[in-house]
Order: sequence, then structure tokens, then C-alpha cells
Amino acid sequence: MKEGLRQSMAWVHTWSGLLVCWLLLLVFMGGTAAYYKHEITFWMKPELHKAADAPSRVTPAESATLAVRELQQRAPKANAWFLDLPHERNPLIYASWTNPPKKGMTREERRAAFRTQNFTLDPMTGENTAAPRDTRGGEFLYRLHFDLYYMSAIWGRWIVGVAAMFMLVAIVSGVITHKRIFKDFFTFRPRKGQRSWLDAHNATAVLALPFHLMITYTGLVTLMFMYMPSPTKALYGAEQSAMFADVFPNAERVKPAKEFAPLADIAPMLLQAERAWGQAPTRIVVSNPNDANARVALHRPSGQQLSNIEPTMTFDGVSGALLIETAPMSTTLDTRAAIYGLHVAHFADPLLRALFFVCGLAGTAMVATGALLWGVKERQKYAKVLAKGGRVGFGVRLVDALNIGAIAGLPIAFAVYFWANRLLPVEIAQRTNLEANCFFIAWGLAALLAQIRPTRAMWRFQLTLGAVLLAGIPVLNALTTDTHLGVTLFGGPALRAVAGFDIVVLLLGLLLGWAAWWLGRKARKQAAARQPANPAQATPLETA
Amino acid sequence: MSALILSGLALAFSGFAATSITMDRHYADIHGRGKEASRATRLRLRTLGWIGLLLSFMACIGASGWHIGPVLWCGILSLAAWTVTLLLQYHPRRVMQGAWIGIPAALLAAALLLRN
Repeated sequence: MKEGLRQSMAWVHTWSGLLVCWLLLLVFMGGTAAYYKHEITFWMKPELHKAADAPSRVTPAESATLAVRELQQRAPKANAWFLDLPHERNPLIYASWTNPPKKGMTREERRAAFRTQNFTLDPMTGENTAAPRDTRGGEFLYRLHFDLYYMSAIWGRWIVGVAAMFMLVAIVSGVITHKRIFKDFFTFRPRKGQRSWLDAHNATAVLALPFHLMITYTGLVTLMFMYMPSPTKALYGAEQSAMFADVFPNAERVKPAKEFAPLADIAPMLLQAERAWGQAPTRIVVSNPNDANARVALHRPSGQQLSNIEPTMTFDGVSGALLIETAPMSTTLDTRAAIYGLHVAHFADPLLRALFFVCGLAGTAMVATGALLWGVKERQKYAKVLAKGGRVGFGVRLVDALNIGAIAGLPIAFAVYFWANRLLPVEIAQRTNLEANCFFIAWGLAALLAQIRPTRAMWRFQLTLGAVLLAGIPVLNALTTDTHLGVTLFGGPALRAVAGFDIVVLLLGLLLGWAAWWLGRKARKQAAARQPANPAQATPLETA
Repeated sequence: MSALILSGLALAFSGFAATSITMDRHYADIHGRGKEASRATRLRLRTLGWIGLLLSFMACIGASGWHIGPVLWCGILSLAAWTVTLLLQYHPRRVMQGAWIGIPAALLAAALLLRN
């Protein structure tokens, strides 16, 4: 036990990182994509593109009135109505509702029913848009990054939470074990084998360290009531909901009076909120519509604040009187809201959002280079065995295969998810589940193939496949919709999301293609270096 | 992208560039093997580098306020540091030349900050 702190931290860093790195890659990629989940969802519903193209000319109050009129016809007896009004990242009016749960309905059935209870209005005409295809869009990737899939959300959150805790340990121990953190701050030396991988790992990790630390820690805080339940249990016992009611009074649900009362006009409430805020509300929740206990909650983005809690005004739905405004929060709550807000970055304008996205990609690269580094280092122990034509040990082979399956396989899965969105028949039953299944079938196949043959050729094959699939998405989009790059680049502001999506996947595809080409060149060079070795020995005079 | 944010990015780049070109490895890359920066140069450029980073922080606060500004600054620092790292590898002299952009950027940022 004469090891120094640095050496022991190196051990902690290696193992805390390696054990969870493949899951972390999924979490990082999903979470990074989730910064654009609205844009991804919009891209995945091409039926809406046309309606969104024309700029909205109706005011928020008019939009809300239109939507409420439609909701009164379709769901007058709903539990609650949810309305999203047009704003920067959302060109259309989205409305959905929940019905009182029928007895004997399973959670799955309720969810399936909820997915059908919605409509989208064109803010130009007030008409229903073409029905969009059934897809979870970016929401699937967002949920995937902390709920996982094919298991209950609670299990997923525990698994991801444990991985995030390992990640936090890996970050801190990594900083301690990095002896030359300042001397090598700006160092990247390519074409030097292990040295280069380590440099790349350091550059992606150290230079975006504030982001990596923040995103890991804040990610844990978003689910802190689950990971650290003891304080709540000590104060409230089994009644967690009582704690939430105390802490978040705005979210308190009012029970219906079961007595009919007409819903007040919603437009004056919006105008009142707009006057008070200097900004129109973007989200409206009407609970117990057409009931004596109706409530209308107006939300707006938190704007120039980190907090994830949207300022809210709650009105009495019958009299139209203002009941509560978001009360000033305690410092503790404000701190939590800011930490939570940092993770989800709802405050980010386009530039800052792009920076978050790039840092997320850097995090993915950090995990990937770290995972590769383990294999590169471990392989050296087998240098003599390999020179004699022997094989590497089971551990190296397993890690190599898992690396291929995660680093090269996951982009294939993401690409296949988007391909499935365009190619699956629109009317097919269970469409959302099928899209998700396509993601996991593609990933499973890639991971399985990697386990069967974890070779450099497999790396090249999967990287090339991922590159072709990702870079092919703009082509696929052009073939299956009318809103291809030729249209979206010159279209209205709402179509910029579609153009941006096409361009980003194209760039990511090119990146993978470059990686595959680079591997190929390396393989050719090594083969060339091996070939002339024998003739050179045979005729030493010629070479001299 | 506002002019203030752009000048903040330029200042961050300049600050990192000034700091990096006195470091042993990078100094040798630029000026030839075995050369080392003198103590005075090192101190001067390092001070200038820190001033650049500080000004870049102020530019970000000026552009996005005390809540979002620091977050923006962290992102900009990462971007600037990656740029310096790659440039040092492939065009080390460019880093030395590029560091000068900090001067006009500082003037622009100061003008924009004082105007408000």
C-alpha cells in the first residue's frame, strides 16, 4: 500500500469509467440529441411542415381562443387541457387533453389513449393541420437518456443514476490523476498511438470540464428525490405527495366540484398576463374545464434566468379572476431550480444551445476515447503474444467488441430510428413502438456482430454503415417529403429546424465517414509496411 | 450572435493563445527546438492572457447578464481552448499571430460595455 494518491486515483478512474462507459455513451448521445428534441420531433412529423411554413400572424390570445373552441367541441368533459402556443421553437398550436381514467384501465392503455387525444392547429387559418404520423420523435431520445427502454422508468432511472454516480467519480479521480493537467492543457499530438488517444481524451475532457462536471452533477440532482429519499421520508413519512404540495404550491391539483359552470373567456387572462410580464404566455393548462372548480394556468419561459420553473399565473376558470402568481421561492428551492435548469437548458438561445450540443458531443468523445484507451493500453501487454501470431485475452476482446457496438453501433441505431420514421407505413398500428424497436434491433445487431468479430474490419464496416445511414438522411428526406434541403434552406423560419436537422446529421455522417477512411488508410499503411520488409532483407544492397 | 459575444469569443481565444505560446512545448514548436521563453516574456504574456479571459467574462456578462452570462462564458472558453489546441498542432505560428485579435476585440468590448 505504498501507492501515491495519483496512482490509486488512476485505478479508480479506469474502473469507474470502464464499467459504465457503454451505457454512458447511450446517455450522452441521447441527452445531447435531446437539446433539440422539439426540432427532432418536428422533423419527424413531415405532415406539419407545410402548415408551419407560413409565419404566424395571429396573436397568442387569438390562438388560445381558437384552440379552446376546438377543445370545447372535442373534449368538453376532459380532466385537463394542455395548450402550446406558437413561439420561437414551435410554429404551431398544439393541444391535448386527459380524460378521467376509466376503471380497470392499465397504465399502458391510458398512455395509448392519451397519444390519440390531441390535435394541431395551423395558426394562419385556425384549421386542423394534416394529421401527423404517430411518433414520439425527440421525446423518445430524451426519455431514453434517463428512463432507458423495455423496463419500468424507475429501474431505468436507478441504472442511469448509478452510471452517473460512477461518472462523477471518474471525473473527479480523472482530474486528480492527470499530473500534467496544466502543462498539457493545449496539447494534442496526432499519429502517436496511445499518446494521441490520451491527448484526445484529455482535450475533450479537460477543455469542457465545467460542462462535464455540471451535466453529471445536475443530472443527479434532477432525480434527487428518488436517489436520496431519506430526508423526505424523515419529514413526511410515506406521504411524499404532501411534500410536493408544500414545496410546489403552484402544482397543486384542485378537485372538480362535479358541477357545471361555463368556462370564462381565456383571451382577457392572456392579455392580463402579457401586460404584467411584457411577454405572452406560451403554455396553458386548463384543469377541470367547464366545472365550477376550473383553473387556468398560464406559463411563460423563464427567460434570462437559469431556473427551470416557468413563471405562472393561475386564474379562476369561471370568474376569470387572477388567483395566484408564482410566489417568490425560497433560496433553497431557487437553487434547486437553477441546478435543474442548467441541466435542461430551457433558457438557452440558439447560440448557447449549439454550445451545449457541441459540449455534449465532446462528452461523448471523451467517453469514447476513454473506452478506446483502455483497449489500446491493455493490448500492449499482449505485444509479444501478438507478434507470435497469438490472440489477446478475453477481457480485451470483450471490451473491443463492446466498444465497436457502442461507439460505431449507436450512431447506426440513431440513424435507423430516423429512417424508420420515414419508411414505416404511416397507418401501421403501434407505430411509435415499432420505431423504438427499430432503434434497438439495429443496435442489438451491431453489438452482436461486434461480439462475433471484434476486428478492425468490423470497425470500418460499422463506421461506414453509420456514415452512409446518417449522411443519407437528407436524401431520404428529399425522397419521402416535399421539405428537402432545397426548400427548407430558403423557406420560412419554422423550416430552419428541418434544414438544421438535415445538415447536422449530414455533418455527423461525414465525421463517421472520415473515421472509417482514416482507419482504412491506417490499415493500408500497415500492410504496406509489412510487405517490403522481406524483399529488403533479401537484397540489403539495393536499399543501402 | 451579438458583437459583444463575438468579441468575448475573440478575447477568450486571444487569452488562451497568449498563455499557451509561452509554454515550453509550444514555444519550442514556434521558435525552434530547445528555445525557451524568457521570464519577462512569460510573465507579460501570462498576465495579458488572464486579462483577456477576464475581459471575455465581462463581455459575456454584458451580453447575457449574471444568470446566463457565466454559462455562456464556459461554453465560449471550451470553444476557444479547442481552437487554440488544434491550431497549435497544425499551424503553431498562427496562434502567435492570432493572439493579436485580442486588442481590437478588447476595444470593441470596452466600447460596447461602456455604452450601456
